[in-house]
Amino acid sequence: MNVFAALMMVLAAEAAPVDFDTEIVPILTKAGCNAASCHGSAAGRGGFKLSLFGGDPAWDYDEIVHRLEGRRINPASAETSLVVTKPTEQIAHEGGTRFEYDGSDAATLTRWITDGAVRSQARGLSRVAITPNNSLVSLNDELQLKVLATFDDGTRQDATNLSVYVSSDAAALDVTDSGKMKIVRRGRHHVVVRFLTDVQTVIVTAPLADTRVDLSTAPHCNWIDDKVITTLDALHLTPSPQADDATLLRRASLHLTGRLPDADTVRAYLADKDSSKFTKLIDDLLDSSEFVEYWTYQLSKLLRIRPQPTNLPATKAFYAWVQQQVEGNVGWDQFATSLLLAEGDTHEYGPANFYLVAGDARAQAEYTSELLMGVRLSCANCHNHPLDRWTQYDYHGLAAIFARIERGRQVRLTSHGEVIHPVTGEAAIARIPGERFLAEGVDGREALAQWLTSDSNPYFARAIVNRIWKSLMGRGLVEPTDDLRATNPATHPELLNQLTSDFVSNGYSLRHTMRTIMTSAAYARSSRTTAENEGDLQFYSHALPVGLEAEVLADAIADVTGIAELYGNEPLGTRAINLFTPPESETLEVLGRCDRSDSCETSGSSTVGLTAKLHLLNGPLLNRRLGDEQGRLARLHRSGASTAEIIEEFYFVAFSRPPTDKERSYWLLQLEVGDPNVQQPALEDFVWGLLNSQEFLTNH
Amino acid sequence: MLNTPRINRRCDGVTRRDFVSVGGLTALGLGVADRFRLQTPVAASERSTRSHRSCILIWLDGGPSHLETFDLKPDAPAEVRGPFQPISTAVAGTQICELLPLTAQLLDRVAIVRSMTSPLGEHNFGAQYLLSGYKPSPVIDYPSFGSVVAHLHNERGILPNNVAIPTFRVGGGRQSGQGFLPEQTRPFSVGGDPAKPDFQVRDLDLYADVATSRLDRRRSFLNAFDQFHRGAEQLGEASETPTDPAFEQAYRLVTSPDAKQAFDLTSEPAEVRKRYGTRTIGQSCLLARRLVERGVPFVTVNNPGWDTHQGAYTRLKEGYTGAKVPVGLIPSLDMAFSALVEDLEQRGLLDETLIVVMGEFGRTPKLNVSGGRDHWPRVFSVAMAGGGVTGGQVIGSSDSVGEGPKDRPVTPSDLACTIYDLLGIDPQHMLHTPGGRPIQVNRDGQLIRELIS
Repeated sequence: MNVFAALMMVLAAEAAPVDFDTEIVPILTKAGCNAASCHGSAAGRGGFKLSLFGGDPAWDYDEIVHRLEGRRINPASAETSLVVTKPTEQIAHEGGTRFEYDGSDAATLTRWITDGAVRSQARGLSRVAITPNNSLVSLNDELQLKVLATFDDGTRQDATNLSVYVSSDAAALDVTDSGKMKIVRRGRHHVVVRFLTDVQTVIVTAPLADTRVDLSTAPHCNWIDDKVITTLDALHLTPSPQADDATLLRRASLHLTGRLPDADTVRAYLADKDSSKFTKLIDDLLDSSEFVEYWTYQLSKLLRIRPQPTNLPATKAFYAWVQQQVEGNVGWDQFATSLLLAEGDTHEYGPANFYLVAGDARAQAEYTSELLMGVRLSCANCHNHPLDRWTQYDYHGLAAIFARIERGRQVRLTSHGEVIHPVTGEAAIARIPGERFLAEGVDGREALAQWLTSDSNPYFARAIVNRIWKSLMGRGLVEPTDDLRATNPATHPELLNQLTSDFVSNGYSLRHTMRTIMTSAAYARSSRTTAENEGDLQFYSHALPVGLEAEVLADAIADVTGIAELYGNEPLGTRAINLFTPPESETLEVLGRCDRSDSCETSGSSTVGLTAKLHLLNGPLLNRRLGDEQGRLARLHRSGASTAEIIEEFYFVAFSRPPTDKERSYWLLQLEVGDPNVQQPALEDFVWGLLNSQEFLTNH
Repeated sequence: MLNTPRINRRCDGVTRRDFVSVGGLTALGLGVADRFRLQTPVAASERSTRSHRSCILIWLDGGPSHLETFDLKPDAPAEVRGPFQPISTAVAGTQICELLPLTAQLLDRVAIVRSMTSPLGEHNFGAQYLLSGYKPSPVIDYPSFGSVVAHLHNERGILPNNVAIPTFRVGGGRQSGQGFLPEQTRPFSVGGDPAKPDFQVRDLDLYADVATSRLDRRRSFLNAFDQFHRGAEQLGEASETPTDPAFEQAYRLVTSPDAKQAFDLTSEPAEVRKRYGTRTIGQSCLLARRLVERGVPFVTVNNPGWDTHQGAYTRLKEGYTGAKVPVGLIPSLDMAFSALVEDLEQRGLLDETLIVVMGEFGRTPKLNVSGGRDHWPRVFSVAMAGGGVTGGQVIGSSDSVGEGPKDRPVTPSDLACTIYDLLGIDPQHMLHTPGGRPIQVNRDGQLIRELIS
């Protein structure tokens, strides 16, 4: 041992005893010993297994002090203990040198061993304060983070060097092991800071432009705009102007009903001089039967209600039940409770089918956590979640809640059934994830439902609010929307908090939150970017165009051409969004329909790819319709409409607006040819172009 | 009307900023990361000129067992070593699985990395890491190899630069492949199964009665609509400028007889088709060879089914219970891979074509109770041939039970770095996201020097 270490030991003898839980464990975390790729993995490594990120200090203590016949520590000669010599690579260590033999970490470990390697549990962590947070910086600035931990015995400790720092994007913001940040790119960046069980996110903002923008006159309609504008201001981002009436009518109709407004509706809306007509429009749409249809479709997708050809009555019952909930504006809390507690005949009682979506208790746990909490618990099947708080106890404990469910035509709770915890090899104990174990023998679903729908639940309301926001604004405040966790921060944390509490205090009403979002100025911005905000994809300086979903697009093509698509044996005219048992459909497949076998949250329309383009060019989807005698074009012809009227009609039904003068004269020039035999194919090609245009294919 | 050179010239010369004023609305403004992306012109500086190598990636979707393919453990306990025996190969001292006899004979052309290691044991995450060399991030959607290659490829031919056979549904199907790169770099899925007698690329033939002249008009009308939507002030000449690259690609494909010929497997002699094996993976590899011959720089042969949690013996060897001739995953891979190496070699194309065989991770050292193995990313194997790879060597090794790397650990990032290098792409080269942000083709990867001849 060198002189320095010896000196440390002498000094140590005078100091307070080292606390295992709050002083040794952080060293192991900081050095990466208990990471998932090392001893923190489910199987451990090299016969030495630590709890992931030190989540279970009792285990770690036992592993270090008692296992391997206590050979990992040597109180008589502390500095020769394996737990010191391995990580300092005094002897061979596959993981290399984790800290220096003559450094302070080794000294602390040595001192703890010399003192008898006790686990005093002298103190627990009360809170962690990290400064600075929410700082506004400039490019190339350097900033030192400071982490101050307070313990329940009143002691405080500078934990800066014992915390783990992870930048959300190392090429934008660099952070060292000692918490020194360097801003490499402009924008808003996050650093996740972990000390013991505490995980916090530090936000750092480097404005995108040098000069601040005057936003005092930026359009402002409700509190959502406060939050959005504050962020724009911090980033020096200029918002685009507000969208025009026609664009907003089309946008809102697609968002709330999944369909384009018909020509009469467009004309009436554009002629309406009422200054509050947009709010009235939203209210009318929210009250419409088309809203019920479309949001039944949306929720069915979220619930992954899939065709079960052999079990049609069950699918039908489930779908009908969802429709009733949407129609009755049933709160999301009650919606979820009904699902969780459902029992009975799946042909009669729709929500009972909640237990048929996933195959078994474990799949049910994953499905439930993704659907109702917006979290991916699946990692914790085999090992503790590497990025989040979820342990195998949470995963298998949640599965255990569902273990006694019998899944057949009748869904019921039985007295038997268990889920084996893969590590203990014993039946997992039912558990509210991240919270508490449940008593044996009770139906854990009730406790789960109560916990989820309690107003303070950190996941349940946030998950659905974030999804609604995404469906209306084009991007989730947290992305992906099924991956809420402390280490995946929201772009606008306060906004998400306020949206969530507003949703909760308004009876978990989906309609209420939609209305709130849609009446903000942020919702009504144009999707045209300006030179200043063209790079912005997440701060809502302009609307984000989104491709129409496969079903919505198929319906829109049918509406514009006037030729319905035939789906299996469904009556002609059945809309794609109303197919609760989607049959095989080449059209929907090419347009990118989600098959609902897994989460649909990352799939979208794929009309942009080569495959879809080829189909639109050569497939029957459009070609069959363009010249059809029953189609809109043929009907307009028969009614004696002029070329100008035909052009205008198609603009109204596809784009929800009249053509501009420039457009009108351009198309007349192209299409006004005398010979009807020449004009007919030209008009068909006009409609073809219209149906392939970005203006048609997106909600913009 | 078909005016490919002009399109190219425009892409070359126009800077990102200029494009804004041409198009009115840039890709940046469109917002949603992987949709409706317009063509971001490839600046000359973004191009690589070093090599014309192509790549055929044989992707074993689901995660192939290293212990049943390239890294057997005959001395390990029964529950580790599994049901299959090792056999000798053309390389003295190197053994691989008995179900790979044809591959064994030409192992002197093949390099095996036995010490691949990754922390990501979930299909989607693992596939993203292996296919891009970047761990998945919530902030950046990284492009896969094929899209990077397509993006940096100098020539925009009639055939797509990034083709997937039959589809690019990998790792659970959640990935578009192109990440933040423009839409036209997305893998083109041929759609049909090349092993089927009536195989054809979906919608490649013209719809009845729609003459080519009408395609031209449709193209020009579509451009007019898109330009009006972007608020273009003048149409006239501008309406001839293509605005939808995916449509342009479709247009070129449809109007070209050569394209149809490229996908026509019936023009291959029967014995060649047989040599590749009648299964989808074999015929897909044959199609891949035809495409590479015609200048397609990246082809993914996507072979699903390797997620063998149960019934591994049947699925890996027999194909179906009681098969007289084994047609399971491994024998089918053996025929396809060995045929591809041989065929390319005979055509003098092996040195220009890199073949990579891999999946998203390996499988657990111990067989589970269902006679399968579960996900295991900590160590697994990758095989490579052609394209400048020094064959006949094994790089790295796993420990005695195939649980972790014993020496020379290689990360997916290292592998990516090496693949890019072999394909003549500088790993340090900067790509740009729609927001204009530079991202290196590869970061953190160390070149596997001994792999490269």
